[in-house]
Amino acid sequence: MTDIDEAMLIAWVDGELDEVTRRRVDRAVAEDPALAGRLEMHRRLRERVSGHYAPVEAEPVPPAMRALLEGGAKVVPLARPATPRWRNWGIGGAIAASLVLGLGIGHLSGGPSGPVAVSDGAMVAQGELASALDTQLASAQDGAAIRIGLSFQRKGGGWCRSFEGQAVAGVACRERQGWQVQQLVPGAGQGTAYRQASSGDARITATVDALMEGAPADAAQEKAARETKWR
Amino acid sequence: MSFESDLLAILPRLRRFAASLSRDRADGDDLCQAALEKALRARDQWQPGTRLDSWMYRIMRNLWIDEARSRQRAARTFAPEEAGEHVGHAGDRDMEAHVMLSDVDRAMHALPDEQREAIALVLVEGLSYKEAAEVLGVPMGTLTSRLVRGRGALIELFGEAA
Repeated sequence: MTDIDEAMLIAWVDGELDEVTRRRVDRAVAEDPALAGRLEMHRRLRERVSGHYAPVEAEPVPPAMRALLEGGAKVVPLARPATPRWRNWGIGGAIAASLVLGLGIGHLSGGPSGPVAVSDGAMVAQGELASALDTQLASAQDGAAIRIGLSFQRKGGGWCRSFEGQAVAGVACRERQGWQVQQLVPGAGQGTAYRQASSGDARITATVDALMEGAPADAAQEKAARETKWR
Repeated sequence: MSFESDLLAILPRLRRFAASLSRDRADGDDLCQAALEKALRARDQWQPGTRLDSWMYRIMRNLWIDEARSRQRAARTFAPEEAGEHVGHAGDRDMEAHVMLSDVDRAMHALPDEQREAIALVLVEGLSYKEAAEVLGVPMGTLTSRLVRGRGALIELFGEAA
Protein backbone atom coordinates (compact mmCIF):
# COMPACT_ATOMS: atom_id res chain seq x y z
CA MET A 1 0.00 0.00 0.00
CA THR A 2 2.80 2.41 0.86
CA ASP A 3 6.47 2.32 0.05
CA ILE A 4 7.38 2.81 3.72
CA ASP A 5 9.42 -0.18 4.84
CA GLU A 6 10.59 -1.37 8.25
CA ALA A 7 14.03 0.20 7.84
CA MET A 8 12.41 3.60 7.31
CA LEU A 9 10.25 3.33 10.41
CA ILE A 10 13.30 2.34 12.41
CA ALA A 11 15.36 5.19 10.98
CA TRP A 12 12.49 7.54 11.95
CA VAL A 13 12.72 6.31 15.56
CA ASP A 14 16.52 6.60 15.55
CA GLY A 15 16.33 10.17 14.26
CA GLU A 16 18.17 9.27 11.08
CA LEU A 17 15.70 10.46 8.43
CA ASP A 18 16.17 13.67 6.54
CA GLU A 19 13.37 16.20 6.81
CA VAL A 20 11.72 15.31 3.49
CA THR A 21 11.63 11.58 4.14
CA ARG A 22 10.47 12.07 7.71
CA ARG A 23 7.47 14.08 6.50
CA ARG A 24 6.69 11.41 3.96
CA VAL A 25 6.65 8.78 6.72
CA ASP A 26 4.53 11.05 8.92
CA ARG A 27 1.93 11.42 6.18
CA ALA A 28 1.82 7.70 5.51
CA VAL A 29 1.49 6.95 9.22
CA ALA A 30 -1.37 9.42 9.59
CA GLU A 31 -3.31 7.55 6.91
CA ASP A 32 -2.51 4.03 7.99
CA PRO A 33 -3.26 2.85 11.54
CA ALA A 34 -1.35 -0.40 11.01
CA LEU A 35 1.74 1.56 10.03
CA ALA A 36 1.23 3.86 13.01
CA GLY A 37 1.11 0.80 15.24
CA ARG A 38 4.41 -0.46 13.87
CA LEU A 39 6.05 2.91 14.37
CA GLU A 40 4.80 3.01 17.94
CA MET A 41 6.08 -0.51 18.54
CA HIS A 42 9.57 0.47 17.40
CA ARG A 43 9.49 3.63 19.48
CA ARG A 44 8.58 1.60 22.57
CA LEU A 45 11.26 -0.97 21.83
CA ARG A 46 13.96 1.68 21.69
CA GLU A 47 12.66 3.19 24.93
CA ARG A 48 12.59 -0.17 26.66
CA VAL A 49 16.11 -1.19 25.68
CA SER A 50 17.75 2.17 26.34
CA GLY A 51 15.78 2.61 29.56
CA HIS A 52 16.93 -0.79 30.78
CA TYR A 53 20.65 0.05 30.61
CA ALA A 54 20.37 3.75 31.48
CA PRO A 55 20.71 3.22 35.27
CA VAL A 56 24.18 1.70 34.79
CA GLU A 57 25.45 5.10 33.68
CA ALA A 58 24.14 6.71 36.86
CA GLU A 59 25.82 4.23 39.20
CA PRO A 60 29.05 5.12 40.96
CA VAL A 61 32.06 3.75 39.10
CA PRO A 62 33.58 0.67 40.78
CA PRO A 63 36.64 1.61 42.87
CA ALA A 64 38.94 -0.75 40.98
CA MET A 65 38.25 1.09 37.70
CA ARG A 66 38.51 4.50 39.30
CA ALA A 67 41.80 3.55 40.93
CA LEU A 68 43.15 2.34 37.59
CA LEU A 69 42.62 5.82 36.15
CA GLU A 70 43.61 7.82 39.20
CA GLY A 71 47.20 6.73 39.35
CA GLY A 72 46.97 3.47 41.28
CA ALA A 73 48.38 1.18 38.64
CA LYS A 74 49.06 -1.66 41.08
CA VAL A 75 45.68 -1.73 42.77
CA VAL A 76 44.11 -5.12 43.21
CA PRO A 77 40.84 -5.35 41.27
CA LEU A 78 37.69 -5.97 43.27
CA ALA A 79 37.26 -9.58 44.23
CA ARG A 80 33.88 -11.08 43.71
CA PRO A 81 32.59 -14.53 44.53
CA ALA A 82 31.90 -15.72 40.97
CA THR A 83 34.87 -17.07 39.05
CA PRO A 84 35.85 -14.36 36.59
CA ARG A 85 35.59 -15.63 33.05
CA TRP A 86 37.72 -12.84 31.59
CA ARG A 87 40.66 -14.14 33.55
CA ASN A 88 42.74 -14.74 30.43
CA TRP A 89 43.27 -11.00 30.19
CA GLY A 90 45.56 -11.20 33.13
CA ILE A 91 43.31 -9.93 35.89
CA GLY A 92 43.82 -13.09 37.90
CA GLY A 93 47.53 -12.83 37.36
CA ALA A 94 47.50 -9.23 38.48
CA ILE A 95 45.77 -10.18 41.71
CA ALA A 96 48.26 -12.91 42.41
CA ALA A 97 51.24 -10.70 41.60
CA SER A 98 50.01 -7.85 43.78
CA LEU A 99 49.33 -10.14 46.68
CA VAL A 100 52.71 -11.81 46.53
CA LEU A 101 54.36 -8.41 46.36
CA GLY A 102 52.32 -6.98 49.16
CA LEU A 103 52.47 -9.81 51.60
CA GLY A 104 56.04 -10.74 51.01
CA ILE A 105 55.01 -14.38 51.27
CA GLY A 106 54.28 -16.88 48.57
CA HIS A 107 51.44 -18.81 50.14
CA LEU A 108 48.08 -17.25 49.95
CA SER A 109 45.41 -19.87 50.00
CA GLY A 110 45.32 -22.46 52.69
CA GLY A 111 48.36 -21.14 54.50
CA PRO A 112 47.45 -20.45 58.10
CA SER A 113 50.01 -17.69 58.51
CA GLY A 114 48.94 -15.03 56.02
CA PRO A 115 46.33 -12.34 56.63
CA VAL A 116 44.24 -13.32 53.60
CA ALA A 117 42.90 -16.59 52.27
CA VAL A 118 41.12 -17.23 49.00
CA SER A 119 37.75 -18.81 49.61
CA ASP A 120 35.23 -19.48 46.82
CA GLY A 121 37.17 -17.16 44.57
CA ALA A 122 37.03 -14.23 46.98
CA MET A 123 39.76 -12.89 49.26
CA VAL A 124 38.77 -13.35 52.88
CA ALA A 125 40.62 -12.02 55.92
CA GLN A 126 41.96 -14.64 58.32
CA GLY A 127 44.07 -14.90 61.46
CA GLU A 128 45.23 -11.70 63.04
CA LEU A 129 43.64 -9.50 60.40
CA ALA A 130 40.25 -11.20 60.80
CA SER A 131 40.30 -10.81 64.56
CA ALA A 132 41.41 -7.17 64.33
CA LEU A 133 38.48 -6.52 61.97
CA ASP A 134 36.12 -8.37 64.30
CA THR A 135 37.13 -6.86 67.60
CA GLN A 136 39.45 -3.88 67.35
CA LEU A 137 37.99 -0.42 67.78
CA ALA A 138 39.49 2.45 65.81
CA SER A 139 39.18 4.54 68.95
CA ALA A 140 41.30 2.18 71.09
CA GLN A 141 44.18 0.43 69.41
CA ASP A 142 47.44 1.61 70.94
CA GLY A 143 50.28 -0.63 69.94
CA ALA A 144 48.18 -3.02 67.85
CA ALA A 145 49.96 -4.67 64.94
CA ILE A 146 47.07 -3.93 62.61
CA ARG A 147 45.41 -0.57 62.84
CA ILE A 148 41.81 0.01 61.86
CA GLY A 149 41.28 3.21 59.90
CA LEU A 150 37.59 3.82 59.32
CA SER A 151 34.47 1.80 59.99
CA PHE A 152 31.55 2.65 57.77
CA GLN A 153 28.31 1.43 56.22
CA ARG A 154 28.55 0.61 52.55
CA LYS A 155 26.00 1.54 49.93
CA GLY A 156 23.38 -1.17 49.85
CA GLY A 157 24.06 -2.04 53.49
CA GLY A 158 26.69 -3.87 55.52
CA TRP A 159 29.81 -2.85 57.41
CA CYS A 160 33.23 -2.19 55.93
CA ARG A 161 36.51 -1.25 57.62
CA SER A 162 39.81 0.02 56.30
CA PHE A 163 42.97 -1.38 57.86
CA GLU A 164 46.72 -0.96 57.82
CA GLY A 165 49.43 -3.35 58.88
CA GLN A 166 53.13 -3.86 58.34
CA ALA A 167 52.71 -5.88 55.18
CA VAL A 168 49.33 -4.93 53.84
CA ALA A 169 46.71 -2.22 53.99
CA GLY A 170 43.26 -2.26 52.49
CA VAL A 171 39.51 -2.34 52.86
CA ALA A 172 37.33 -5.27 53.89
CA CYS A 173 33.56 -5.66 54.07
CA ARG A 174 31.59 -8.02 56.26
CA GLU A 175 29.93 -10.81 54.32
CA ARG A 176 28.31 -13.99 55.52
CA GLN A 177 31.51 -16.02 55.43
CA GLY A 178 33.65 -13.34 57.06
CA TRP A 179 35.53 -10.19 56.07
CA GLN A 180 35.81 -10.07 52.31
CA VAL A 181 38.82 -8.04 51.27
CA GLN A 182 37.80 -5.43 48.70
CA GLN A 183 41.22 -3.98 48.15
CA LEU A 184 44.74 -4.82 49.23
CA VAL A 185 47.83 -2.67 48.75
CA PRO A 186 51.31 -3.03 50.20
CA GLY A 187 51.58 -1.83 53.79
CA ALA A 188 53.88 0.85 55.09
CA GLY A 189 56.09 -1.70 56.81
CA GLN A 190 59.23 -3.23 55.40
CA GLY A 191 61.31 -1.73 52.67
CA THR A 192 61.38 1.79 51.40
CA ALA A 193 59.93 0.85 48.03
CA TYR A 194 56.40 0.53 49.38
CA ARG A 195 56.44 3.22 51.98
CA GLN A 196 53.91 5.39 50.23
CA ALA A 197 51.15 2.90 50.93
CA SER A 198 49.13 3.48 54.07
CA SER A 199 45.56 4.06 55.07
CA GLY A 200 46.20 7.59 53.88
CA ASP A 201 46.94 6.04 50.51
CA ALA A 202 44.89 7.74 47.80
CA ARG A 203 43.88 4.35 46.43
CA ILE A 204 42.33 3.28 49.71
CA THR A 205 40.71 6.66 50.15
CA ALA A 206 39.15 6.29 46.70
CA THR A 207 37.80 2.85 47.56
CA VAL A 208 36.36 4.06 50.86
CA ASP A 209 34.78 7.04 49.13
CA ALA A 210 33.23 4.85 46.48
CA LEU A 211 31.86 2.30 48.94
CA MET A 212 30.75 4.49 51.81
CA GLU A 213 27.15 5.50 52.44
CA GLY A 214 27.05 8.72 54.43
CA ALA A 215 29.70 9.37 57.06
CA PRO A 216 32.09 7.00 58.87
CA ALA A 217 30.95 5.53 62.18
CA ASP A 218 31.86 7.39 65.35
CA ALA A 219 33.24 5.60 68.42
CA ALA A 220 29.79 4.77 69.82
CA GLN A 221 28.44 3.45 66.51
CA GLU A 222 31.56 1.40 66.00
CA LYS A 223 31.21 -0.15 69.43
CA ALA A 224 27.53 -0.94 68.84
CA ALA A 225 28.38 -2.56 65.51
CA ARG A 226 31.03 -4.74 67.18
CA GLU A 227 28.44 -5.82 69.72
CA THR A 228 26.11 -7.05 66.98
CA LYS A 229 29.06 -8.77 65.27
CA TRP A 230 28.98 -6.34 62.33
CA ARG A 231 25.71 -7.72 60.98
CA MET B 1 42.67 17.17 30.69
CA SER B 2 44.84 14.08 30.80
CA PHE B 3 44.15 10.84 28.98
CA GLU B 4 43.15 9.24 32.29
CA SER B 5 40.73 11.96 33.31
CA ASP B 6 39.17 11.92 29.84
CA LEU B 7 38.63 8.19 30.28
CA LEU B 8 37.20 8.70 33.74
CA ALA B 9 34.70 11.20 32.31
CA ILE B 10 33.31 8.71 29.79
CA LEU B 11 33.63 5.69 32.09
CA PRO B 12 29.94 5.63 33.11
CA ARG B 13 28.97 5.35 29.44
CA LEU B 14 31.60 2.69 28.81
CA ARG B 15 30.22 0.63 31.68
CA ARG B 16 26.74 0.95 30.22
CA PHE B 17 27.96 -0.24 26.82
CA ALA B 18 29.79 -3.16 28.44
CA ALA B 19 26.63 -4.10 30.36
CA SER B 20 24.57 -4.13 27.17
CA LEU B 21 27.08 -6.41 25.42
CA SER B 22 27.52 -8.80 28.33
CA ARG B 23 25.37 -11.48 29.84
CA ASP B 24 25.18 -9.72 33.19
CA ARG B 25 26.53 -6.72 35.04
CA ALA B 26 29.47 -8.53 36.62
CA ASP B 27 30.67 -9.75 33.22
CA GLY B 28 30.15 -6.23 31.93
CA ASP B 29 32.41 -4.78 34.60
CA ASP B 30 35.07 -7.40 33.89
CA LEU B 31 34.93 -6.43 30.23
CA CYS B 32 35.05 -2.73 31.06
CA GLN B 33 38.04 -3.19 33.36
CA ALA B 34 39.89 -5.19 30.72
CA ALA B 35 39.17 -2.50 28.11
CA LEU B 36 40.55 0.20 30.41
CA GLU B 37 43.71 -1.80 31.00
CA LYS B 38 44.11 -2.33 27.27
CA ALA B 39 43.51 1.37 26.56
CA LEU B 40 46.16 2.40 29.08
CA ARG B 41 48.66 0.04 27.47
CA ALA B 42 47.76 1.21 23.95
CA ARG B 43 47.39 4.93 24.73
CA ASP B 44 50.02 5.85 22.11
CA GLN B 45 47.70 4.54 19.42
CA TRP B 46 44.95 7.00 20.24
CA GLN B 47 45.13 10.13 18.09
CA PRO B 48 44.34 13.24 20.08
CA GLY B 49 41.58 15.21 18.42
CA THR B 50 39.67 12.07 17.47
CA ARG B 51 36.83 10.78 19.60
CA LEU B 52 38.00 8.88 22.62
CA ASP B 53 34.59 7.32 23.19
CA SER B 54 34.51 5.77 19.70
CA TRP B 55 38.03 4.47 20.21
CA MET B 56 37.04 2.91 23.53
CA TYR B 57 33.84 1.39 22.10
CA ARG B 58 36.00 -0.23 19.45
CA ILE B 59 38.51 -1.62 21.95
CA MET B 60 35.76 -2.99 24.14
CA ARG B 61 33.86 -4.50 21.27
CA ASN B 62 37.00 -6.21 19.93
CA LEU B 63 37.83 -7.67 23.34
CA TRP B 64 34.29 -8.91 23.65
CA ILE B 65 34.35 -10.53 20.19
CA ASP B 66 37.70 -12.22 20.95
CA GLU B 67 36.33 -13.57 24.19
CA ALA B 68 33.12 -14.79 22.55
CA ARG B 69 35.17 -16.62 19.91
CA SER B 70 37.48 -18.28 22.37
CA ARG B 71 34.48 -19.35 24.42
CA GLN B 72 32.95 -20.92 21.32
CA ARG B 73 36.21 -22.72 20.58
CA ALA B 74 36.35 -23.99 24.13
CA ALA B 75 32.76 -25.21 23.89
CA ARG B 76 33.56 -27.10 20.68
CA THR B 77 36.74 -28.56 22.11
CA PHE B 78 35.43 -29.61 25.47
CA ALA B 79 31.83 -30.65 24.88
CA PRO B 80 31.87 -34.42 24.38
CA GLU B 81 29.35 -35.81 21.92
CA GLU B 82 27.58 -37.95 24.47
CA ALA B 83 26.84 -34.92 26.63
CA GLY B 84 24.09 -33.94 24.23
CA GLU B 85 21.82 -32.34 26.76
CA HIS B 86 24.59 -30.09 28.02
CA VAL B 87 25.97 -28.92 24.71
CA GLY B 88 25.93 -25.18 24.26
CA HIS B 89 25.17 -23.77 27.66
CA ALA B 90 25.46 -25.51 30.97
CA GLY B 91 21.93 -26.34 32.06
CA ASP B 92 22.05 -24.83 35.52
CA ARG B 93 23.68 -21.68 34.21
CA ASP B 94 20.72 -21.12 31.96
CA MET B 95 18.30 -21.74 34.79
CA GLU B 96 20.16 -19.27 36.90
CA ALA B 97 19.97 -16.82 34.03
CA HIS B 98 16.21 -17.19 33.90
CA VAL B 99 15.93 -16.35 37.56
CA MET B 100 18.43 -13.52 37.69
CA LEU B 101 18.16 -11.71 34.39
CA SER B 102 15.45 -9.41 33.20
CA ASP B 103 13.59 -9.84 29.92
CA VAL B 104 15.81 -7.26 28.25
CA ASP B 105 19.06 -8.90 29.39
CA ARG B 106 17.78 -12.26 28.23
CA ALA B 107 16.55 -11.04 24.88
CA MET B 108 19.76 -9.14 24.16
CA HIS B 109 21.77 -12.20 25.09
CA ALA B 110 19.75 -14.29 22.65
CA LEU B 111 20.70 -12.07 19.69
CA PRO B 112 23.56 -12.93 17.34
CA ASP B 113 26.66 -10.94 18.34
CA GLU B 114 26.60 -8.71 15.25
CA GLN B 115 23.02 -7.67 15.92
CA ARG B 116 23.58 -7.13 19.64
CA GLU B 117 26.53 -4.79 19.12
CA ALA B 118 24.61 -2.74 16.56
CA ILE B 119 21.61 -2.45 18.90
CA ALA B 120 23.89 -1.56 21.83
CA LEU B 121 25.67 1.24 19.99
CA VAL B 122 22.58 2.84 18.46
CA LEU B 123 19.76 2.20 20.97
CA VAL B 124 21.72 2.14 24.22
CA GLU B 125 24.62 4.48 23.49
CA GLY B 126 22.69 6.74 21.13
CA LEU B 127 25.31 6.80 18.38
CA SER B 128 24.31 7.89 14.90
CA TYR B 129 24.31 5.26 12.17
CA LYS B 130 27.47 6.78 10.74
CA GLU B 131 29.30 6.69 14.07
CA ALA B 132 28.16 3.15 14.85
CA ALA B 133 29.17 1.90 11.39
CA GLU B 134 32.63 3.40 11.91
CA VAL B 135 33.05 1.76 15.31
CA LEU B 136 32.11 -1.60 13.85
CA GLY B 137 34.02 -1.10 10.61
CA VAL B 138 31.06 -1.99 8.39
CA PRO B 139 29.18 -0.06 5.67
CA MET B 140 26.04 1.84 6.71
CA GLY B 141 23.81 -0.55 4.78
CA THR B 142 25.18 -3.49 6.77
CA LEU B 143 24.59 -1.67 10.01
CA THR B 144 21.00 -0.75 9.17
CA SER B 145 20.12 -4.28 8.08
CA ARG B 146 21.53 -5.60 11.39
CA LEU B 147 19.42 -3.06 13.23
CA VAL B 148 16.30 -4.15 11.37
CA ARG B 149 16.92 -7.85 11.98
CA GLY B 150 17.97 -7.36 15.59
CA ARG B 151 14.88 -5.36 16.37
CA GLY B 152 12.64 -7.91 14.71
CA ALA B 153 14.20 -10.61 16.88
CA LEU B 154 13.80 -8.54 20.07
CA ILE B 155 10.15 -7.84 19.34
CA GLU B 156 9.57 -11.54 18.82
CA LEU B 157 11.40 -12.43 22.04
CA PHE B 158 9.50 -9.84 24.06
CA GLY B 159 6.28 -11.09 22.54
CA GLU B 160 7.00 -14.55 23.91
CA ALA B 161 7.91 -13.21 27.33
CA ALA B 162 4.76 -11.12 27.67
